[in-house]
Amino acid sequence: MAAIEARGLARTFSGGVVAVAGIDFDVAAGEIYAFLGPNGAGKTTTVRMLTTLLRPTGGSAHVAGFDVVREAHKVRSSIGVALQEAALDPLMTGTELMILSATLHGIASSDARRRATALLERVGLTGAAERRVGTYSGGMRRRLDLGMALVHEPRVLFLDEPTTGLDPLSRRAIWDEVRTLNRDGTTVFLTTQYLEEADQLANRIGIIANGSMAAEDTPEALKAGIGHAHLEVRLAEGEAERARRVVARFGECMHAENGNVSVSLKNGAADVAPIVRALDEAGLVVESLDVIEPTLDDVFLATTGQTLEGAGAGADANAGADRAADEDARADRGAGADGAATNGGKHSRARNSR
Amino acid sequence: MSTQVQVVPASTAGAMIWSLMKRGLNEVLRVPGAAVPGMLAPTIFLLGLTAVFGNIKELPGYPTDSFISFMVPVSYLQAAGFSGAATGVNLARDIELGWFDRLMVLPVPRWALLAGTILSASLRVLLPFSLLTIVALIFGAQWPGVGGIVVAFTIGMIFAAIMACWTVSLALIFKTQSAAPLMQAGTFILVLFTAAYAPLELLAGWLHDVAVINPVNHVLTAVRQGFIGGITWGDTWPGLVVLLGMLVGFAAIAVNQLLKFGK
Amino acid sequence: MTTAALATNGRATVSLAKRGLRQALRRPQFLAPLVIFPSLMLAANTGGAGRATELPGFPEVHGFLDFELAGAMMQSTMLAGVSGGIALALDFEIGFIDRLFAAPVSRYSIIAGRVGATSVLGVMTGIWFLAGGLVFGAQIQAGVPGAMVILALVWLAAAAFALLASALAIAASKASVVQGIFPIVFVIMFLSTAFFPLNLLLEPAKTVANVNPLSWIADGMRGPIIGELELGTVAKAVAGIAIVAAIGFALTGLTLRRRMRTG
Repeated sequence: MAAIEARGLARTFSGGVVAVAGIDFDVAAGEIYAFLGPNGAGKTTTVRMLTTLLRPTGGSAHVAGFDVVREAHKVRSSIGVALQEAALDPLMTGTELMILSATLHGIASSDARRRATALLERVGLTGAAERRVGTYSGGMRRRLDLGMALVHEPRVLFLDEPTTGLDPLSRRAIWDEVRTLNRDGTTVFLTTQYLEEADQLANRIGIIANGSMAAEDTPEALKAGIGHAHLEVRLAEGEAERARRVVARFGECMHAENGNVSVSLKNGAADVAPIVRALDEAGLVVESLDVIEPTLDDVFLATTGQTLEGAGAGADANAGADRAADEDARADRGAGADGAATNGGKHSRARNSR
Repeated sequence: MSTQVQVVPASTAGAMIWSLMKRGLNEVLRVPGAAVPGMLAPTIFLLGLTAVFGNIKELPGYPTDSFISFMVPVSYLQAAGFSGAATGVNLARDIELGWFDRLMVLPVPRWALLAGTILSASLRVLLPFSLLTIVALIFGAQWPGVGGIVVAFTIGMIFAAIMACWTVSLALIFKTQSAAPLMQAGTFILVLFTAAYAPLELLAGWLHDVAVINPVNHVLTAVRQGFIGGITWGDTWPGLVVLLGMLVGFAAIAVNQLLKFGK
Repeated sequence: MTTAALATNGRATVSLAKRGLRQALRRPQFLAPLVIFPSLMLAANTGGAGRATELPGFPEVHGFLDFELAGAMMQSTMLAGVSGGIALALDFEIGFIDRLFAAPVSRYSIIAGRVGATSVLGVMTGIWFLAGGLVFGAQIQAGVPGAMVILALVWLAAAAFALLASALAIAASKASVVQGIFPIVFVIMFLSTAFFPLNLLLEPAKTVANVNPLSWIADGMRGPIIGELELGTVAKAVAGIAIVAAIGFALTGLTLRRRMRTG
């Protein structure tokens, strides 16, 4: 039985705004599934439907085997949720919030405090447990948020952009925790704007755009579906044209910037040595070489026609704007709850070879 | 801590104050409905207290048979208090949001920073004053004459500036909007612990004693001219002296707090 | 609902009520309107209009303070309700409500927790005013049983007002909107017998107060202070509270169901 199953899941808001246009996907038990999409694609609306915060207007969904509409209570008993905003009461201490979460999930008071203490230790907040949450840093709030979602040992964990706005160290701490949870058998449904996060964590990735599923598969399969790796060669000035004629017999020549030459590697890294020899024999001076593997950014661009601005340092600034837009959208009730930040970033290539 | 007052050319200082004053008025001029609470609250109190306590005018010795005429000056001072409180709360919000830090790094004399903000309080109070006057006249208040209106409005505007100095001081001390109740309580006590509902002779013992020593009672007497009785210098000058004293005192406190701010 | 589910929901309600109380006690700026301003107004009314007991037709009372206590408690109770609504709206604003809604507890339990906190807050303010009144010379004619009845009425009334305010909070999801009804609270109170006897109110307040359920509630709270415990007066007060509660319950259910449909 799938941990999460969506069939024709749809949500239309008043005014005829279609936020989710009927999507199908399955998340196997014990899987980490990353749900990607640009702002306004329908990610958060989908998460809110799966977590029973929003009623679908079409289709159906089952979480942990329970229907999200007819068996909403059972769904809520089986899931843990850390939403896009680390919505915490700033006047309460970490301990108080954790105990409250335990109580709300039916844990008896005798156990609630014990579990709260254990979870606080697990997320590294023992030292700050008796401080009011209003004094916590962003990373601490996120960790507490995660801890509260775990206090009742849920079968399925929903994380809506769990590391947005966090520094790299805090982000890695969250990633480690997610991996640990998954090793213990928890299914994780994760939305993120960070492609690296999806690449690092996910067993499978679903890409949603304009309310519809654009692609779904493992990260490797998605990247392989885009095409081969390619070799980017930087040469001395004026030699690009000659080099292009040399490498053309090895593979498809692609457009490269700044006088570089780019050629696809049908056989992967095994093609690199013959190409370099050929260039050398032609008397061309190679200044540098890069093997560029397809990235999720490439996948994203190919499937949605857009890049995710979240693929790097600019994410934090955009996340703030997205949250503001998200709130406006929710207030207006006229758009999908993903907000409406613009998405005009340039296509970029990661230069790391795998 | 330096207490020297920076000397700037009058034209430059004036331009700075004018800019800050205009910014202070933005809330009521640009935010739809922002002015409504400040106008509604004193008006509701005027009509409500008149409807509830109006019959105490039947008590022997009550100086008028129009309770609303007796109360409307109190409402003017209440409105001035609300305007002052709003100024302080807005400043506290500016401090919380970090906007105030921007102003503090500007080459603007500290007294000019305050002057603009406080002037805005004096001006924004004209909105509730106008509504109160119209409503009071509709409900039977005595027309105080142009002189009475000028006296009342002028004194009210100065009182609004004084209340703004008080609330701005609190904002600079506490640096949070949570201090709003303290700001409002201060103005409440000053205005209502006077001969607000009835003349001194008809007040209960303890309130009589408090009203006698409350300087704002003289201000109230001055504002009440025209609505109750005529306008005389004898009823005016004590209020002006009190206003001057309070303005100097509270302004000094505000400037002092501003100089200490962030240290 | 199974026994286990009932127990879980019950525990959730109690936990959330405790949370609500904790919030109120940790946010003094929200407590101030419930206690400080009604107290100041009680002092001003008592001191300023205290001689009203000499007016023909004023009920036999030990003192004007005795009469006014109920008004202060009504004011405080209503403002407690509004504060509860503001706190709930803040939960919506910061997204904390999603955390609660995603938990396996009934949404009505969540609202019940908030209402429970507010009703306890109401009782605390009721004790404040009764104790304060006694300190300043008031007498509760109906003795301890009378005081208990008063506190019971305050408890129920606070819950009823909290239901009304919760409905608004759920519908608007913005604290500023709920805060905006403060003036309306005062209007409704002025149009009741909270502060003055019905026969001495001016029109049209008198006519409105005659049919205003809040008059029944105020009279019910006042009865044991100024006279003997009368079943009829208490029953009428309960009926007034029931009307407010019924409206609040219906609106809360409506807005909650709409919220569940629209997200």
